[in-house]
Amino acid sequence: MSEADSRPMADTSHDEYVIQMKKINKVYSNGVAANREMDFNLRKGEIHALMGENGAGKSTLMKILFGMEQPTSGEILINGEPTVLSSSAVAISKGIGMVHQHFMLVPSLSVAENIVLGMAPTKGLFLDKQKAEQIARENAEKYNLFVNPKMRVADIPVGMKQRVEILKTLIRGARILILDEPTAVLTSQETRELFEELKELKEEGYTIVFISHKLDEIKEITDRITIMRNGRSMGIYNTSEVSKEDISRLMVGRDVVLNVSKDKAKPADVVLRVRGLNFVNEWNIKMLRDVSFDVRRGEILGIAGVEGNGQKELIDMLFNLAKPDSGDATVEGKSIIGLPQKKIRDMGVSLVPEDRMLYGIAATASVEENIISDRSGNKELNSGPLFNMKNIRELSEKLVQEFKVLCKSPEQKVGMLSGGNIQKVVVAREFSNEPVLILADQPTRGSDVGATDFIRKKLVELSRSGIAVLLVSADLAEVMELSDSLMVMHKGRIVAYFEDTANLSDEEMGEYMLGIKKQSPEEIRRVCHD
Amino acid sequence: MTKKRQITFSIVRSLLALAIALLVAMFLIFLSADGDSFSEKLSAMGEALKQLLIGPLFRTGGGGIAFEGKRLADILSAMTPITFTGLAVCIMFAANQFNMGAEGGIMLGAFVTAVVAIYVPMPAGVHSCIAVLIGGLVVAAVMIVPAILKVKLDVSEMVCSLMLNYIIMYVLKYLLNTSYADKTKGQIQTYPFLNSAKIAPLINNPIFSGAKLTWGFVIAMIAVALSGLFMYRSRWGYQIRMIGINKDFSKYSGISVGFIVVLSQMIGGFLAGVGGGIEMLGRYQTYSWSSLPGYGWTGITIAILAGNNPWFVPLAAFFMAYLSKGCDLMATYANVPSQLIDIVQGVIFLFFAAEQFLSRYRQSLVVKTAQEELAAQAALAAASARASDKEGGAANE
Repeated sequence: MSEADSRPMADTSHDEYVIQMKKINKVYSNGVAANREMDFNLRKGEIHALMGENGAGKSTLMKILFGMEQPTSGEILINGEPTVLSSSAVAISKGIGMVHQHFMLVPSLSVAENIVLGMAPTKGLFLDKQKAEQIARENAEKYNLFVNPKMRVADIPVGMKQRVEILKTLIRGARILILDEPTAVLTSQETRELFEELKELKEEGYTIVFISHKLDEIKEITDRITIMRNGRSMGIYNTSEVSKEDISRLMVGRDVVLNVSKDKAKPADVVLRVRGLNFVNEWNIKMLRDVSFDVRRGEILGIAGVEGNGQKELIDMLFNLAKPDSGDATVEGKSIIGLPQKKIRDMGVSLVPEDRMLYGIAATASVEENIISDRSGNKELNSGPLFNMKNIRELSEKLVQEFKVLCKSPEQKVGMLSGGNIQKVVVAREFSNEPVLILADQPTRGSDVGATDFIRKKLVELSRSGIAVLLVSADLAEVMELSDSLMVMHKGRIVAYFEDTANLSDEEMGEYMLGIKKQSPEEIRRVCHD
Repeated sequence: MTKKRQITFSIVRSLLALAIALLVAMFLIFLSADGDSFSEKLSAMGEALKQLLIGPLFRTGGGGIAFEGKRLADILSAMTPITFTGLAVCIMFAANQFNMGAEGGIMLGAFVTAVVAIYVPMPAGVHSCIAVLIGGLVVAAVMIVPAILKVKLDVSEMVCSLMLNYIIMYVLKYLLNTSYADKTKGQIQTYPFLNSAKIAPLINNPIFSGAKLTWGFVIAMIAVALSGLFMYRSRWGYQIRMIGINKDFSKYSGISVGFIVVLSQMIGGFLAGVGGGIEMLGRYQTYSWSSLPGYGWTGITIAILAGNNPWFVPLAAFFMAYLSKGCDLMATYANVPSQLIDIVQGVIFLFFAAEQFLSRYRQSLVVKTAQEELAAQAALAAASARASDKEGGAANE
């Protein structure tokens, strides 16, 4: 790619674009800036890819375009006319439709009923089922999107659900379709069918926004591509003129260098040994493929990868929140697969969960009650049949102080604290129960700078004291600089292993994360320290 | 929000709910009051309200109001069974288990206790204790059914326990009519309890004469204290509450969710069963219940009024007993249909249970607290800034 090509294209004429979004800024009420001076445009009849890592701001930008969120500042032009999209209803009336990643369908209603929902033909007081089915059938034929109007949505395959969603938006007059990661839930056969359908829609003059982080799909189907990183646009390009390597370089990269100071790791014996884990999820997609690795005492092993490539599933297996189809995982030689969480914890495994509001805390319980949740049966905290309230208070006050949790007292409800302080409560519990292995899944997500810094330092400190740490993070800087050794996951596989993270470049990481490059099986096998 | 503001809010909210319910009640009483003219109806309504509000504790009429001990004893006595069911429901609901089995539980507990009291001779004192305990344990065992079905097969414990109530009722009805019937009597009833099994009256004072206030009331209050300690000062109670707040979190924390789900319903069943047994041995001579007594349903209301906190159950139970007594009096002395109590109770219940009722007022209190905190912080910062200025100034000089 030459210098000239890599420059974002200038917008030459105004009537060329059906949509122009100019200098969009969006700051959420919690202070997160999701979009910064973001420019975006769509030409009539194109398939336009919107790429970026999780948290890059793609969804926010599309929610603004669909009227679900209001920009803090910036301008939206539709066919050259400045327009305020104050709600989704307005966006729909302007011909914009969105198919969400998680389908918005009523499972117990038929396909036809779902399609006509909100604009249903009636016969007297009742729904005219025949008419609804007729509408569904006619439109399915017109757009060449095969659906079975009579079937209940609960009983149809995922690919058909997606077609129902697309039909819904088309019938409501959409000329611009936003598809949010449409292939994430599809099998490869269903993906092929979807691509054929999208190409036909494009030929009929529909404009499609295709959100994805799968490079092959983007290269195959899209005309132009907008790449986002950290809320900003990294430019708009003709897809045919950028290489996969360029896309990966633009999309993946550190915006800050952390400079975590840490001594060199002195890894000892293996604590966690994972061998041949396989897992197929409820939509029949292989989320883990033959995953094998070891984590040793005294080292931080990082897992990098674009989200949704099996990291979450791997952690779920290790804490028995889901069961693998095959394979084993042992901690200090004893299998942990299928054990109750209490047993896993008794073996010295701690987990900082990715979803802290679901697994990490009980929001309406106090800080203290959240701190003791994994040890309420401990001898020191009980005297006879009752709690030893004095010891419990001592413990919670000690941990609140040590982990710098900002709260009025340990009796304060944990849900009232800020995100960073909630995370410190979780970390205080998980780091203080004398673990031999810490599974840290996105340990600093949503935390403020102070909390993030604190948690990272603690992780390094603990690993240097001889604890094995498995770190999963979507934050490239975090996972590259905290980890002593690093592996990359792509499509449920380990595709790379680096014994030393010191000389790794962002470009190289990006290529492994997006599946452009892959190490040889011998190189990958080095992560098993047999 | 500070604790004091939270309490203010609860009190304002409760009083307002009461006031609105009373307004609705007044309107209905007025409609159903005797009298041809407006003023006649009005005075009839006044009399009815007097009975409802102060009648449960005071004798009115003759121009004066006099406190009456017997009526208080009646209320305390009526509180006893619903305190037990209230506690039972509290503990099950706190674990997010919507088990409705307190109703069948109290009936079964009463029956089993009665059988032990009739057929198994034991020394006085021990007899009643053992009979009540056996009643409680049998109900605890029966509550394993909905609990296990929930844990193993994900059957809704609400549906299951509701159905269980009717199974219990009809089985007991069958037993009462056949094997355990006292065929020498015209009524359907069992043989009388042995004297050794009866629960003694609490006070033998002429002021309270006629009231059936027994030691059962004291046991109910002890049960409140034990349940309160259990829920807030013991690990199982703690685990029950954590499961109720967030089941996924509890599982991830290593709490054995299935065991705790079963445990909470067994404890609930035990409490309901004990309540039934105490009610039976304290207030009756023979067992003759042929339909569900309704204490279990009242227990649900009480648990919701008490916010699933055992410590508040006596208050809520007193309130419900008071209301019930007031409505009885209203029906007797003011000719108001006793069915009205259900409507009044319903309205009060609605406002208590409505989480969003007065949410704006709560929000304004929250905001006020937050503003005060910010102001305090600012003042603190300003003070420390002044202090450092002074130091700086001193250094400069």
